[in-house]
Amino acid sequence: MRIACPYCGPRENGEFSYLGDATPVRPSLEQGVDAMLDYVFLRDNVAGEMQELWYHGGGCRAWLKVTRNTLTHEISAVEAARGAGAAKVGKR
Amino acid sequence: MAELSWVATAPLSHVLKPGHHGAETGGSGVAYTGLSDFALVQVMARRGKASALAKAAKAHFGVAAPLKPKAVAAGGSLLIWSGPDQFLALSPRDGLASPLASLAGPLAGAASLSDQSDARALIRIAGPRARDVLAKFCSLDLDASVFPVGTAAATSVDHTAVTLWRGEDTAGGAATFNLLVFTSFAESLWHMMLDAGAAYGIEVGEASYGV
Repeated sequence: MRIACPYCGPRENGEFSYLGDATPVRPSLEQGVDAMLDYVFLRDNVAGEMQELWYHGGGCRAWLKVTRNTLTHEISAVEAARGAGAAKVGKR
Repeated sequence: MAELSWVATAPLSHVLKPGHHGAETGGSGVAYTGLSDFALVQVMARRGKASALAKAAKAHFGVAAPLKPKAVAAGGSLLIWSGPDQFLALSPRDGLASPLASLAGPLAGAASLSDQSDARALIRIAGPRARDVLAKFCSLDLDASVFPVGTAAATSVDHTAVTLWRGEDTAGGAATFNLLVFTSFAESLWHMMLDAGAAYGIEVGEASYGV
């Protein structure tokens, strides 16, 4: 499997580390314990396309958001994760 | 009480043996040169300051710092892309002056600076078989059509993060690649490189950077 890093170009997956689902958003404290429990521990086991966080630690050290099909490993999109690169911060 | 003394040595000093290594016949297909006496500064844009750094770097170096994986000559320095909003500034070491001294003022407020001069080893790989050697341990396509002179890459070699860039060809027209590696991994990488290049014959040397 190769991942096309938006900064470096296509690289072998050995240069990347997998973090997991990119979609959970940290809830506010007012949303209660259940919402935080869900955010910290509970993950969907998606069969199909999902958005994932990958870290290009063996290269440019950027965090990436990768859209990957878990059934076929096909990667349809790769973009810089929010906050990857100081230039991105404060522009969203 | 035992006397402890610390002696500064080059990171490859225990393993770099100048001379011919590997295949006895057919000359040297590749040359490995351990380069020393360089100053290396990691420059990283502070949060939200990427455009401020771009401006300050252009004003100081006279050329734009690389925004893509490239190595750009800027007077006596070489600016090597190392990731989004960051680059390495490589130059000959100027006596005892702190490598940070000349950059701290011009880049103040826009970037964080970190002196890496003694944190990396710099190895030059050149010769007609340089690409053949690199093909054994580097997964990148280094063909001239996609990796022209001045192209840089942050990648992994031998399970170790390295900064790689292509320098000017040798006088004989052979490709030249430069490799920056963390000092603590340099010996391991060096042994692997000797194995990788043995079949082509290796001319090992050492030199001061930029001389």
